[in-house]
Amino acid sequence: MAKFLLLYRDAAEPRNQPSPEEMQGFLAMWGEWFQQFGPKIVDGGDALLPTGRVLQPGGEVANGPYVEAKEVIGGYSVIDAEHYEAAIEIAKACPIAKIGGAIEIREFAGYN
Amino acid sequence: MNDSRTLVEHFFRHEYGRLVAVLTRSMGIRNLELIEDVVQSSLSKAIQTWGHNGLPDNPGAWLYRTSRNLAIDAIRRKQTEQRLLQGTASPQLESAVSNLGSVQLEEVGDESLRLLFLCCHPTIPMESSIAFALRTVSGFSSEELSAAFLISKASVEKRIARAKDRLREIGTEITELDSHTIETRLDAVQSAIYLLFNEGYASSSGEHTLRKDLCEEAIRLARMLIQSIPKSASSFKALIALMLMHVARFDARVDKSGSMVLLEDKDRSQWDWIRIREAMEWMAISASGTHLSRFHIEAAIAWEHCRATSFDDIDWGSISKYYQSLFEIQPSPMVQLNLAIAISYSMGPAIGLKRLTDISDSQRNRLRPWWDCAIADMFLRLDRVEHALSHWQDALLLSHSACQREFIAKRIKSAEERKSKR
Repeated sequence: MAKFLLLYRDAAEPRNQPSPEEMQGFLAMWGEWFQQFGPKIVDGGDALLPTGRVLQPGGEVANGPYVEAKEVIGGYSVIDAEHYEAAIEIAKACPIAKIGGAIEIREFAGYN
Repeated sequence: MNDSRTLVEHFFRHEYGRLVAVLTRSMGIRNLELIEDVVQSSLSKAIQTWGHNGLPDNPGAWLYRTSRNLAIDAIRRKQTEQRLLQGTASPQLESAVSNLGSVQLEEVGDESLRLLFLCCHPTIPMESSIAFALRTVSGFSSEELSAAFLISKASVEKRIARAKDRLREIGTEITELDSHTIETRLDAVQSAIYLLFNEGYASSSGEHTLRKDLCEEAIRLARMLIQSIPKSASSFKALIALMLMHVARFDARVDKSGSMVLLEDKDRSQWDWIRIREAMEWMAISASGTHLSRFHIEAAIAWEHCRATSFDDIDWGSISKYYQSLFEIQPSPMVQLNLAIAISYSMGPAIGLKRLTDISDSQRNRLRPWWDCAIADMFLRLDRVEHALSHWQDALLLSHSACQREFIAKRIKSAEERKSKR
């Protein structure tokens, strides 16, 4: 069993603010995800605020999160899976994927 | 901890309104934008926390605490900014922070009502008041309102902005819902609730579930209003009865594919009798005063439709009499049209037809394409199919929604089939 990090990537230009009704639907989707894959989810993770700082190699500090390809990391979870294929299946069922967000899946090296 | 993560229906929407209302009370309507941001953030935070950990014991209290803390943080940040810019902290912001500490959650119901009265300021156009109230008191998004009202999202936002600007210009805050405010604005608030219901009910297009949500919201607000102000006019109680009877039959208005269903073909088993019984109780209470309002009569008409077990069982004689009385207190073209239709069933299509052609040209134009549909229907019942078809063709040209056009096209098709069979 390996551990994988799911990095949730939202569009840097946020879509329309979801309505309270949509947000409630979103909550139910998270509930379903946890119910379906509960034991596999090592850490539900957290969301990240849209603010941030980037410390450049020269020591310079820039405002805002690191944005590449118009995407910004909006949150993460940690899951257990046999291999990438299994991890992808779990990620596919995640609400972020269902509402059209991208998810980067990375395997932990397991150094500690 | 509750692990099911299921909330009551529309929980977030209603909480949104409650939170905006209670925070507006302590921070003032001038901070509305900040308040809306704060409430939106606390809902996002709830999704993250609850999604991962399950629901807290009291989700409403959790949201309230979170919004209050986020609001205090936001004000502090604003204060720091101001201090840096001007060297002093604003006393207004100071008082907002101390007010936030003292607000009790139990007051929230009244807060929504207070905000509703604030929205219905006499100098704000009604359509703006309604859009603004639906956003702030009821938690509908611009997209939802745009889909329900069939106007662009930009128009929705323009309406909301107009109300906000106006409130800012006036600079008033209602801190207490005193008897003077209630007296002077109760009519406007009641009309707003009625119009809100009509927006949902009467428009012939727009998204079905959303429109039903608007109707339900109008009923929710009406109940809230009557709980706080029990001595509301008897007409308002009749209005509640009327709204309940309409919403009880809402789902029977369209078929599975979302097309409009003819009165003859409505599935009466779909009617929600819990709602209808509740409506009857309100009707009984509303009958206490001496004043007979349009809502009393409209409720009586709705009751006739509710109680009929089939189309043939509808008591058109009584309905005609009710429309006649309604016409006397509210002589609108729409009432005239409905009266003609009722008469066509109680006294025959030829008499109904005469009533329809008696309607003056200028008024007729305001009723189209419904006037054309009604007259076509009567011609069909008189077996004058050619005339019927020509009026439906007019109706088709005049109709302003896809849903209407689909309905008319179906009528044309069935009339043509009838013609070819002869």
